[in-house]
Amino acid sequence: MNKKLLPYLFSVVIIFIALGLSAFYNSPKKTGRLIIHFIYMADGKKINKDSIYTNAFGETYSISKLKYYVSNVQLNNFKEKESYYLVNALAEDSIVLNIPAGNYSNFNFLLGVDSLKNCSGAQSGALDPLNDMFWTWNSGYVMFKMEGKSSASNADQQRIEQHIGGYKGAYKTMRQINLQLENAITVSPNENTSLTIKVNLDKYWKGINEIRIAESPVLMTISEKSKNAADNFAGMFSVANSDQSSPKER
Amino acid sequence: MKYRIIISFVFFIAGALFIISAVKEDGYGPYKPTPLKFIIPKGWPTPPTNIFANNKLTEEGFQLGKKLFYDGRLSKDGEVSCASCHQQFAGFSTYDHDLSHGVNNTFSNRNAPALVNLAWMTAWHWDGGINNIEVQPLSPLTAANEMGETLESVLAKLKNDDEYRKMFKAAFGDATITSQRMLKALAQFTGSLVSANSKYDKVKNGETTFTDTEQKGYNIFKSNCSGCHKEPLFTDNSYHNNGLTLNRFNDIGRQKITLLSSDSLKFKVPSLRNVQYGFPYMHDGRIYSLTQVIQYYCSINTANPTLDPLLKNKITLSELQQAQLKYFLYTLTDTSFTKNKRFAP
Repeated sequence: MNKKLLPYLFSVVIIFIALGLSAFYNSPKKTGRLIIHFIYMADGKKINKDSIYTNAFGETYSISKLKYYVSNVQLNNFKEKESYYLVNALAEDSIVLNIPAGNYSNFNFLLGVDSLKNCSGAQSGALDPLNDMFWTWNSGYVMFKMEGKSSASNADQQRIEQHIGGYKGAYKTMRQINLQLENAITVSPNENTSLTIKVNLDKYWKGINEIRIAESPVLMTISEKSKNAADNFAGMFSVANSDQSSPKER
Repeated sequence: MKYRIIISFVFFIAGALFIISAVKEDGYGPYKPTPLKFIIPKGWPTPPTNIFANNKLTEEGFQLGKKLFYDGRLSKDGEVSCASCHQQFAGFSTYDHDLSHGVNNTFSNRNAPALVNLAWMTAWHWDGGINNIEVQPLSPLTAANEMGETLESVLAKLKNDDEYRKMFKAAFGDATITSQRMLKALAQFTGSLVSANSKYDKVKNGETTFTDTEQKGYNIFKSNCSGCHKEPLFTDNSYHNNGLTLNRFNDIGRQKITLLSSDSLKFKVPSLRNVQYGFPYMHDGRIYSLTQVIQYYCSINTANPTLDPLLKNKITLSELQQAQLKYFLYTLTDTSFTKNKRFAP
């Protein structure tokens, strides 16, 4: 081995070790996990596949499917990049976020999918068309989907199919949901913190606008009625409780 | 001398490791995609959006897209492929069928549009309901009166096919088969279907000249048709009401997509490239021959209040002029496209 090369080799090795160590120490370990749970209530009851609920118009109904998109999640100044979640209510899905440790008093998200992603071609993950949340004949995502049955429905087999979609202009149906946390939550490094959001489905039928099953048992195109239903989204969500380090509590 | 031995030994080991690591995982060989360049024909506009911006065009992706395009297994009964209604010899439209045939002897409600120069479009389908070329196949794949299949089932079939796993690896780097990759591969094939070598193009490039009849027809075309069928793509990709009455399917066209009553009965202007083979014509194939199409435009009721303003001036052509126009339209036939082996199965 040529002795002249040795110092160079040595310095190269030192640089690599230094780089490795710095990456190790600077790696952001200062994040914690925030687990967002949703509880779904209708007619004063927690929803499940077998229950019957009555809405504000005295119409009885059941829910067999409830899925919706949560995207562009933001807690105070922390914005999660490329965040798209498809929440399946009857599977009791929760959303797990890795966020910088700190105190948070705002939880904001888009209910639905932003317009750009609606026209950006074939997607994967939560946005995969396999999830049956994409309209194939008038391209775009179904932001919110609720299915069930109702004796008030005049549709085939007394169905309810509320497929709320549309991302353009006056008929857009994604809605910004901004929630203020009364008690700020503290996300500590490497720890789990949970936040429980209540979703009140009574407000879907009667919020800013009225959606009567007898009139609109099936919504599955862009329409004035779908837009009206989307206007009710924001009223459905509220903070139930924020609870430190006890993700199993619901 | 010693160094040389050491260096060559190191290279040998590195090379061997590289080959082993590339081959060992799936037995499909290393991932070495061949980039393809999308060529804009001379004198043509740059496409409004680059459909390959997030879908890198490669030979392997193109070949996979082609295999998918011609594969009947993408349909429920295994009989209907994309190519069933988009036939190459008809300029990738349906030859001699007013409506597309779907699985189980069903009919769709529309005439299959020609897949040509799709890269210059920003919306697809007769009503422009499709906002990205990549998501277009979802529509015919899942429509009960077209291919009648579910996405899950299509993917399951592909995953069970070793040839597909191999081709997905070659196109995308590993053998994972996803809807996203399938759709992107299809877009690589359909987006590459460029027809720009007709007699018309050769005349424009100074390689040949029109006959006297064709030239007269071209002049007629320019003063009567080019408002919508804009050169060189022979469409302006906009939507117009050309006076056709509401059909038995109550197909209101563009209005279904926008909900605007002003879009009632508007349909997307089809390109006239290879129009000779595109019969029957119109969104529901209601007009059988090119001669009859020209006759139709000469007989439009211009008092129709919803008729497109561009058609309000009555088109008056003698029989001879109609024939001249037709001969011009024949110059848009591009047999190097309809017979291109590269686009054939």
